Amino acid sequence: MLRQPLSRALTLSSPVRAAPLAARPYAAQAPPPPEKVEVFIDDKPVHVLPGTTILQAAALVGVEIPRFCYHERLAVAGNCRMCLVEIERSPKPAAACAMPVMKGMRVKTNSDLTKKAREGVMEFLLVNHPLDCPICDQGGECDLQDQSMAFGSDRSRFTDIHFSGKRAVEDKDVGPLIKTIMTRCIHCTRCIRFASEVAGVDDFGTTGRGSDMQVGTYVEKMFLSELSGNIIDLCPVGALTSKPYSFAARPWETRRIDSVDVLDPLGSNIVIATRTNEVLRILPRTNEEINEEWLSDKSRFACDGLKRQRLVTPMMTDSRGNLTPVEWEDAMVAAARALRDCPPGKLLAVAGDLADAESLVALKDLVNRLGSDSTCTEQYFPLDGAGIDLRSSYLCNTKIANVEDADFVLLIGTNTRFEAPLLNARIRKAFIHKDTDVALIGPKVDLTYEYIHVGDSASAVKDLATGSSSHEVMKRLEAAKRPVVILGADQLKTPEGAAILAYTQELALRLQDKLEDKKWKVLNVLQRTASQVAALDIGYQPGVGAALQAGPQVVYLLGADSGVVSRDQLPKGATVIYQGHHGDAGAAIADIVLPGAAYTEKRATYVNAEGRAQQTLVAVTPPGKAREDWKIIRALSEVVGQRLPYDTLDEVRDRLSEISPALVTYGDVQDNNYFAQARSLAQSLQKPVSGKVDVQLKKLEDFFMTDPISRASPTMAKCVQAVIKQKSSKY
Amino acid sequence: MSLGKIFALDKVATFFNIIRQNGGIRASLYKLYRQDELKDGTLVGEDKYGNKYFENPRFFYGRNRWVEYNDKAYLNYDGSQVPAEWFGWLHYKTDLPPHKDPSRPKYKWMADFTENMSGTTGQYVPYSTTRAKVEPWVPKSKSS
Amino acid sequence: MLSSLRTGVQGVLRAASRNIQTSAALQHDSLFVHRDTPEDNPDIPFEFTEQNKKRVDAILGIYPEGHKRGAMIPLLDLAQRQNGGWLPISAMHKVADLLKLPRMRVYEVATFYTMFIRRPIGKYHLQVCTTTPCWLRGSDAVLKTLVEGTGCKVGGTSPCGKFSISEVECLGACVNAPMVQVNDDYYEDLSIEDTKEIIEKLKKDEKPKAGPRSGRFASEPLGGLTSLSDPPTGPGFGIQDALK
Repeated sequence: MLRQPLSRALTLSSPVRAAPLAARPYAAQAPPPPEKVEVFIDDKPVHVLPGTTILQAAALVGVEIPRFCYHERLAVAGNCRMCLVEIERSPKPAAACAMPVMKGMRVKTNSDLTKKAREGVMEFLLVNHPLDCPICDQGGECDLQDQSMAFGSDRSRFTDIHFSGKRAVEDKDVGPLIKTIMTRCIHCTRCIRFASEVAGVDDFGTTGRGSDMQVGTYVEKMFLSELSGNIIDLCPVGALTSKPYSFAARPWETRRIDSVDVLDPLGSNIVIATRTNEVLRILPRTNEEINEEWLSDKSRFACDGLKRQRLVTPMMTDSRGNLTPVEWEDAMVAAARALRDCPPGKLLAVAGDLADAESLVALKDLVNRLGSDSTCTEQYFPLDGAGIDLRSSYLCNTKIANVEDADFVLLIGTNTRFEAPLLNARIRKAFIHKDTDVALIGPKVDLTYEYIHVGDSASAVKDLATGSSSHEVMKRLEAAKRPVVILGADQLKTPEGAAILAYTQELALRLQDKLEDKKWKVLNVLQRTASQVAALDIGYQPGVGAALQAGPQVVYLLGADSGVVSRDQLPKGATVIYQGHHGDAGAAIADIVLPGAAYTEKRATYVNAEGRAQQTLVAVTPPGKAREDWKIIRALSEVVGQRLPYDTLDEVRDRLSEISPALVTYGDVQDNNYFAQARSLAQSLQKPVSGKVDVQLKKLEDFFMTDPISRASPTMAKCVQAVIKQKSSKY
Repeated sequence: MSLGKIFALDKVATFFNIIRQNGGIRASLYKLYRQDELKDGTLVGEDKYGNKYFENPRFFYGRNRWVEYNDKAYLNYDGSQVPAEWFGWLHYKTDLPPHKDPSRPKYKWMADFTENMSGTTGQYVPYSTTRAKVEPWVPKSKSS
Repeated sequence: MLSSLRTGVQGVLRAASRNIQTSAALQHDSLFVHRDTPEDNPDIPFEFTEQNKKRVDAILGIYPEGHKRGAMIPLLDLAQRQNGGWLPISAMHKVADLLKLPRMRVYEVATFYTMFIRRPIGKYHLQVCTTTPCWLRGSDAVLKTLVEGTGCKVGGTSPCGKFSISEVECLGACVNAPMVQVNDDYYEDLSIEDTKEIIEKLKKDEKPKAGPRSGRFASEPLGGLTSLSDPPTGPGFGIQDALK
C-alpha cells in the first residue's frame, strides 16, 4: 500500500477517516448516499453503505475484531493479519480491515477458523517479540499484551532450545521525544502512515525485506515534527515510547484527569496522568470537533515545565531591591496598600497568555471597583471599526471541524503549522482527502502541504478584497463553494493591522454573501493564545500600548510574561504586582509576586479560538503556597476593602454568565452573526497598505518555546537543540 | 507497734528528715517543683554528667532506686540522660553500681554516652536523596 | 544422541564461562540501515552522465504524469550501472529529487530489492547458485574454485577489487546446472576447468563466452533429442483399425 502513489492511497474515501457527521454539519450536503447493503456479523444483521469494511461493520454491531495495523484515522495497510475473519463460502479467512462488505455476506468472527487464524498470527508475532514486558514502558497499555491475552493461544511452539535468540534490530535515534526499542516492533507501519499522511514528514519507512525488514529512517535522521508525539500513542507495542516519561510509571498507577490544553489557542482536549501530586504525562482525549485524537508536541511534552521555575511562595522586594520570600499576609497587605494608594486612573492590569476566564473577570471587577478602566491583554487587536464589540471579528467562525469540508483555504499572515498545529492537520487532511487547495499570503513557510503562494505584501489582501486582483487565487475564491479565510492575529499588531483586518473582513464577507450555503462562515481570525478570546469576551482592551503611555503607577500583571510590559516603559517608582505560576519575564520585573496555579492545578474556564468554552480540572494541587488565581484576587479585594461579591467558583461562573452566557456553556460553540455590521463598520478603515505580511513562528525551532511553561521545560529545550542539530545534518 | 506509729508521728519525723536531707525548705520546694516528688535516701553515686543516684529500701521495689538529674538540665531531663553504666543498677539488672563493680570491662574504643536527641534541634534527620518535585524560581539578585 | 552430547558440552562450557544472553546475528549479508563511509556518503556528488540523462528522460517519458514514481526502479538500476555496479546514497538522493519523492520512499525500494547493492562491489559480481539442483551438479566445487581463483571470500570483495562473490539462491537455470552469474551474463553447465577459464579471462578483462559450456545451445538435451525426434504423425494415428 505504502508504495502506491500517496495521493491515490489517500483518496480512498473511507467514511470513518473523516470526523463523524455530528461534528460536521456541512458534510451532510454531499450527494445522497448509495443504498445500504445488509450483511451478517455473527448472524447479527447490519445495514451499511457499500464500501464499508467488515471491521467497520462489525464495530457497528458491537463486535470487536482485534487489529494492530488498522487505525481508523490512517490509510488501511492490511499487513498485520490480526483481523482475519472467516467468511461463509470463502475458502480462506479474509483481513477484515481491508475487505469491503458484499451483499448478504456472512462473517464469523468467533468460529474455529477465525480463532485458529488469530492464534497463528499471534504466535508468529510473538516469535520475534522480546518477552521484556516487565521492563517495557508500554506494559499495561500494550495492544500486543491485551490481544495475546484475549485472542492468543495459551502455549507456543517457539521454544528456542538452541538459544539462537530472537530477531534483534538496532534502535534508532529519532529525537528527544521518542524512545525507540525497535526489536519490539511488529511492523504495523502505523507510525509510517501517520508520518506521511498526518504529520507530512516522510521520514519513516520500512527498509529491507522478510525477517530483516525494519521500520526506521534508513539514514541517521531524527523525526522532528510538531505532531511527532502521536506516534507514541499509535504504536501498539513498546517500540515507540515517550522518552521524557520513560520508566516513570505504570498506567494503572496513575490517576487520569480530563482537562484542556492551553498552550495553543485551539484548546485541545487532554488527559493528565498524575501520581503522587505530580503531572507525569499528558495524553490527548478524543474530541472530534477540536483535536480528533492527536495532540501537538508542545501540549504533550511541555508538562515537565510545570515543575521548573515555579513560583511557590509570595515574594516582595527587600530594601536592596531583591525579591525575597514572604508570607501571604505580608504580600497581600503590601499589594493592597499599593492598590489603595494608587490614583484611580493610574492602575493598569495586564492579562497574559495563560490567564483563565475566572481570574480575568475577578481582576477586571477589582480594577473597575478601584476606579480604573485599564485592563488589557498582551496580544493586540485593532479597536477601530467594530473592534472587539462583535464576537465574529475575533473568532474562528468556520469552526475547526468544518475546515476539513472547505474547498479552498486562504491563509493570511499565519503559519498554522506552528500557531495551531491541529488546525493545520485538518487543513492537510482536507488537502489530501478532498483536493482542497490552499493559498498563503505571507512569508514562504513549510506547511507540510503544497500551497499557492500569493506573495508576502499586504497589498495582496487589499487586491483580493477589492476584487481587483488578477491572481488566480481570486478566481478560485470566487468559484469556491465553501471557502475559508484564516487571518493570523500576528498581523494585527502592525500599524496596518486595522486595515488588513478590514480588508480580510471585506473579502470574507463578500465571499460569504455569494455562497449558496447560507450557514457557511468564511471569516476566521486565529488568535495566538488560549486566554485572548475569553479576555476579549470579558471586555479587556487588547494591547497595552495606549495604557502604558498614560504612565501607570501600579501595574497588575496576571501571568503577563510575553515581555510587552518592561521596566523601561513604566514611570520611575511604579509598583509592579505579578500574579502567575512561573518565574519568567513578568516576575522578573515585579515588586510583589503572588504565586498562582497553572492550568493543571485549577478548575478554570478557557475559551478557544473558535469561541468554545471549556474547563480544566484540578489534576494536582498548586505547589507550595501557590493558590488558585481567582481566589488570590478575591482575597486581595477584601484586603483592599473592595470585596468582590463571589465566594465560590460557582458564583464566579454566575458572574461570567452575566457577562456572556457563552463563557459558561462548556463544550458548546455558538454561531456568530452581525457579520454585515462588522463589515460596514470596517469600510472606513480600508486604507492603502504597503507593508509586508510576516509571521512570528517560521521554523520548527520557533515552535517549541512560546510561553512560560514551555520555556521552563527541559524537554522543549532539548527539542530546540535537536532541531538545530538536525539542520547541520546532511540528511 | 509503737504509739508513734499508730498516730503516724513517724511520718512527721520522716517529713522533717526529708526536708533536712534535701537542703531546707527552699531547696525542697525547688526539688518538688522540678521533680514532682521529694524522697530521702542514701546517695549511691554520681556519674560524670552530674546525675546523682539514690537508694532507699523503705520504698517498695521499683521505687527504691532513683536518679536526680543534674541541676543544669533543669526541667529538660529525660530518661535517656542516664548513661549506660548506671542503667543496669537503676533497673535492677545488677545491685553493684559501676564504681563498685570491678568486672565491668573498660576499653579505649568505648564511645562516650550520648542522650537521645529526638525532638530537639540536635536530632538526627536523614537527608533526602530524592529531588524535589517542584523546582522553585530563584529570582536574579539585583544588587549583591 | 549427538544433540544431547552437544547440549551436555555446552552445559559444561556454560558453567565455566559467564552465560551471556545473545541474540542471533543479523542474518542478511547487508545492513538495512545506512552508515556513512568514505566511499559512500551524501557528500560525494552523483550526477547522471550526459548519455544517461537522455536515458533518464526516455524512462520518465514512459510513465504518465502523476505516476512518475513508477520510474524509480529503472532509474535506480541506471544509476547502479553508471556507478560500477553499486548504488551509493547520493544516487538514491538524485533519483528522489528527479521523481520529486521523499528520500525515504527511494530508500525503501533500494533496500527491498537484492539486486540493488548498497556498498562498493568488485567490477565482476560473481553470483553462484547453490540451490539444490546446482548443488547436486557440483556447485560446491565451482564455488571453491571461484574462491580460490579470485582470492575473495563469499560475500566479500577480492583484494584486487575486481571480484565479488555472492552465494545466491536459484537463478532459474536449473536445467543448465551448475551455473554462475557474472554481472548480466549467465555461465552455465560449468565444470571446474570452465570456471577457471572464466576467472582467467575476467582477470584479463576479456569477456568469456556466456551461456552453456557443455556444447548445448540452450537447455536442450545433451545427447540430441530423445523424444519428438520423428516428424509428427498425421491425423488418425493410433486409432483402432475398426474406427478408421
